[in-house]
Amino acid sequence: MHQKFLFLLVFIAGSIILAAPLQAQQARKDTTRAAKTDSTEALDEAELEKELARELGLLAGSETDTSVTPPQTSAPAISGSIARAGSVLNPRISVIGTFFGSGTGNQAVARAVDVGLSETEFSFQAYVDPYTKADFFVAFGREQEDPFAGPDEEAANLSEYEAELEEGYLTTLSLPFSLQIKAGKFLGAFGKLNSLHPHAFNFVDYPRMYVNYLGEEGLIDRGLSINWLVPNPFDLYQELTLEITSGALGGPAFQGNSKDLLYLLHLKNFFDLNDNTTLELGFTGMQGPNGLERYKTRMGAVDVTLRWKPLRMNRYKSFELMLEALASQYETAAGIISSKALFAFLRYQVARRWFLGARYDYSEFPDDSEHNEKAYSAILSFYTSEFQKMELQVQRGIPAWGDAFNRILLRVVFVIGAHGAHKY
Amino acid sequence: MKQKIVNRILAVVLTIASLLVFAGTNMAAKKLFLVTTLPDLASIAKAVGGDHVKTFAIAKGYQDPHFVDPKPSYMIKLQKADMFIQVGLDLELGWVPSLLDGARNPNILPGAKGYVDASVNVPLLEVPVGDPTKLRAQGDIHVYGNPHFWLDPLRGKIIADNIYRALVRLQPENEADFSKNLQAFKAKIDQKTREWTERMRPYSGTKIVAFHNSWPYLEERFPFDIVMFIEPKPGIPPTPKQLVRVIKTMKQNDIRVIIIEPYYSKKSAELVAAKTGAVVVELAGSVGAQPGIDDYFDLFEYNINKLIDAFKQAGIQPRATED
Repeated sequence: MHQKFLFLLVFIAGSIILAAPLQAQQARKDTTRAAKTDSTEALDEAELEKELARELGLLAGSETDTSVTPPQTSAPAISGSIARAGSVLNPRISVIGTFFGSGTGNQAVARAVDVGLSETEFSFQAYVDPYTKADFFVAFGREQEDPFAGPDEEAANLSEYEAELEEGYLTTLSLPFSLQIKAGKFLGAFGKLNSLHPHAFNFVDYPRMYVNYLGEEGLIDRGLSINWLVPNPFDLYQELTLEITSGALGGPAFQGNSKDLLYLLHLKNFFDLNDNTTLELGFTGMQGPNGLERYKTRMGAVDVTLRWKPLRMNRYKSFELMLEALASQYETAAGIISSKALFAFLRYQVARRWFLGARYDYSEFPDDSEHNEKAYSAILSFYTSEFQKMELQVQRGIPAWGDAFNRILLRVVFVIGAHGAHKY
Repeated sequence: MKQKIVNRILAVVLTIASLLVFAGTNMAAKKLFLVTTLPDLASIAKAVGGDHVKTFAIAKGYQDPHFVDPKPSYMIKLQKADMFIQVGLDLELGWVPSLLDGARNPNILPGAKGYVDASVNVPLLEVPVGDPTKLRAQGDIHVYGNPHFWLDPLRGKIIADNIYRALVRLQPENEADFSKNLQAFKAKIDQKTREWTERMRPYSGTKIVAFHNSWPYLEERFPFDIVMFIEPKPGIPPTPKQLVRVIKTMKQNDIRVIIIEPYYSKKSAELVAAKTGAVVVELAGSVGAQPGIDDYFDLFEYNINKLIDAFKQAGIQPRATED
């Protein structure tokens, strides 16, 4: 009896979900039809389109309107100016270079001074067709010394550059219900920082929380990401993301085991407090294999970003506060290890091109909550233009094992080619 | 117990599904919702669309149109938009692409029916020549030409044409209304431009200095003469060396007026003014830059008034008009 009832419910729910886009489409059609009074020709077109859709076995609602519109010709002045004929159909290409320098005291690393080009990132972005967009990020990078790693760590190979596909994914453009699907290899929707590339960070090194839990490059994995703009009557930006990825990360908290996948759920909330101030509040839940047979790690995280920037003089003054914290449960044969980590970052713009920042890091380890490391950093940034910035960071590090140390980090980030849009 | 949970989940799914259906039927609103990057475009769109449209401009009139933050809340507006209108020519390159990506609205993507590039068919000034990969050495140069073309009222008519065509694409049944509005808008522009030109004629050719290169179209229409900029190169903050050059030029040419955008610090302009006795005028770059600039016509009215006041204040003698 119960089962039958259940089946009925599923059937009704299913048919409503399937019918919804159809109905929406229908409603839209109906009004156009009503509006196009006497235009029988248009009416026939709509009928014909529906008929063809039926013939082709397509659900009318799932088909987006990609009808041809008269080509919008470019201004005459353009054609005669810069000849870019050969490159017009190329994807948008940019190269982002990072020069890096560090000086570490107290013999915390094998090589106290390290200077050189640390990473070069190539990006290629373009629309594939009316349905998808493709993004590729290829990086040539080299290892860096980690003074937190402890005295037993072997020295990093500082001279060899390795190519890596940082990200490569397709994104859908026209799914109904404000859904978007991303497939490929991509940065996970964990917290706030993880979805940015390191050159966009406002400090030189990854926060310890990321290094100790997700790995030296944060959470990057292969799989599927589905996200949905949650409709709500307040017109609030609320985005729900579900990611199912291979779990073969090789990070400290998660390691692949060929059987289990990594599941991530992220809810992003965005509030305009007033014209000049915004608040972003994110929640992440994650579960995946930790590499010990079929044991798992579960993680919960919260991220808060508060920004103030006056609209009128938006290039002279601004303020930003960022806070991320996580709690992790790491299963082992001997029981569950609960640990936590956080970082807080503050940045104040003192002049058109100058910024001052401060960061505090506290991190335990997924498999060890008895030990922790701390770091205190001060950061000075200078932007020569929108295409180049210089950052100087001084840091006091207190590793879990080994002595406290001071270090200076310096980097110059620059971009050539198509200047991609910023994320907010 | 388990059954109970399953039933509850199903109930939630059902509610959401029915809400979606409801939202779907509601979508067929009568007024077209037009989202524009700048308030100037919104004002022109409102003039052409009349009662058939509702508009929302992302940037405020006193904001620097090159540097607008792509806040996710704008994506919600774009998601609901029937039409998206931008200036184009890479002016909004730093913020529009990520907004469009996040909006999930295929109907307003470039090439779609609801997408309008306002620069189509607009004759451009300052289209750079030479190797494009070397252009950034000149500062913030726009590879397609200077994008501030809405500051010429006659080019505003071409913007109106572009918007008109898109409106007809979306609502052919209202073509007659749009056409009537378009003609009225153009007629008013023509008449007003004649007035403005007449008022500026006595000051034609007056040499002035500007902070940033936002004004070539205004300069061309109401012919004053911008001799140099306080910025050494577009987008590069003024250096002492450049200020010295500006002061020297101003003294040599008896230049008494400096114009500046509302979103730049006036410090260096005022410094120069103090050394040369010049008048600093804050002009409006867009509708909404100052209270009272409520539409595209107010924008020119305001700027012309400001300029003439400044010329008078600086003691520039109006020349007798020849005709």
